[in-house]
Amino acid sequence: MATGKQWRDAIRVSELEQNWVTRVEIGTRLIAIYDTPSGLYASLALCNHGGADLCDGYFDGHVIECPLHQGAFDVRDGKPVSAPATRPMRVFETRVQGGMVQIRL
Amino acid sequence: MSKAIVTPLTQALAEGKLTREELRAFMQRSNGPGLRHLALWVVLLACTTTLITLAWNSWLIWPAMFLQGIVLVHHFSLQHECVHYTVFRTRWLNDLVGQICGLIIILPHRFFRYEHCDHHTYTQLTGEDPELIPLPETFGQYLLYLSALPYWKAKFTEVFRHACGRLSDAELRFIPKVEQQAVFWDARRMLIVYGAAVVAMAATGWWGLIWYWLIPLFLGEPVMRFVRMTEHVGRPTVAQMSENTRTNIVSAPMRFLCWNMNYHAEHHYVSSVPFHALPRLHEKLKDHIFVETGGYLAAHRDILRQIMQRKSGT
Repeated sequence: MATGKQWRDAIRVSELEQNWVTRVEIGTRLIAIYDTPSGLYASLALCNHGGADLCDGYFDGHVIECPLHQGAFDVRDGKPVSAPATRPMRVFETRVQGGMVQIRL
Repeated sequence: MSKAIVTPLTQALAEGKLTREELRAFMQRSNGPGLRHLALWVVLLACTTTLITLAWNSWLIWPAMFLQGIVLVHHFSLQHECVHYTVFRTRWLNDLVGQICGLIIILPHRFFRYEHCDHHTYTQLTGEDPELIPLPETFGQYLLYLSALPYWKAKFTEVFRHACGRLSDAELRFIPKVEQQAVFWDARRMLIVYGAAVVAMAATGWWGLIWYWLIPLFLGEPVMRFVRMTEHVGRPTVAQMSENTRTNIVSAPMRFLCWNMNYHAEHHYVSSVPFHALPRLHEKLKDHIFVETGGYLAAHRDILRQIMQRKSGT
């Protein structure tokens, strides 16, 4: 049985919030897609510190900030950049195919 | 489906008190407002410092030190904003200014940051909110709190406990293991800086820092206790943000001093909103929160009324 990650359609590029973060649902997962100066990135949408929805947070450049405690992560690699975030967040590969943002899950 | 926790913000969005577009606009940050406010802040500090110098050989040094103290203790408000990264857009500027504020008021920045996170998670919930100030049971307890003596006792105990490498049970709940050593070293560094200042004063024979900094700090702290009581004390100890927090409408000088933290309910609703946008957020949320239009004094009248009612009810 194949267990490899597969590219999944997430949202049309035209529907993304420009220079901001957009929330999408793929299956049972809430995913945050970030429109950054260096391209699109994606991560799990819930903060791994307190469980708040990062898609309601402040987004600037490549840094997403949790709306509850202002812990922050670099969306390119998931690294925590501000307390109380101490663990990397889970990020996913992204690509655009035919105007559709796809995420490898 | 994995679900986000319910926060005041998610509630506000779900209930239509705030749209996503408005939220995005309110959260926008820049360095300009913070730097301008900070520049005026330094000018104000220079003025109160000058007053102490001018009053050096007279009894007027005491009111001058009190004025200096009022400004000094409001470094707490600035540090609080830095904890939320809502003073400057540049994140390291918030860290730097927050560290300096913490040094001035003897409140290590990293520790305060973690403690304050739990205050936002468990606002006004007895036994869970580490910053909860209980409604005093008697007028004597009210005055004791305002004296700041219990505050300083708690703060000094806290700093020495951390410098000795220990955390209380409550602190163990909100400081992750990976940060504990850093918290301990923050406390040690703070004690070293204060110790070095004392040694330097003894070596030079110039004890000015006592008169310009430490005595004013202790004289001013009751003012900060007075302000801090107005944020939650006397409000219901429940999770509903519309109930458990008080916004106080205060004068422009007080708003300047407290970096707009009088808009406290708005801040708790959306803590990512920078200090300079809180008055605009107030206009949006004022019908959904508890607002004390009479300011700090009216808030204290409410607190005192509740203390007296409790006393007469027993």
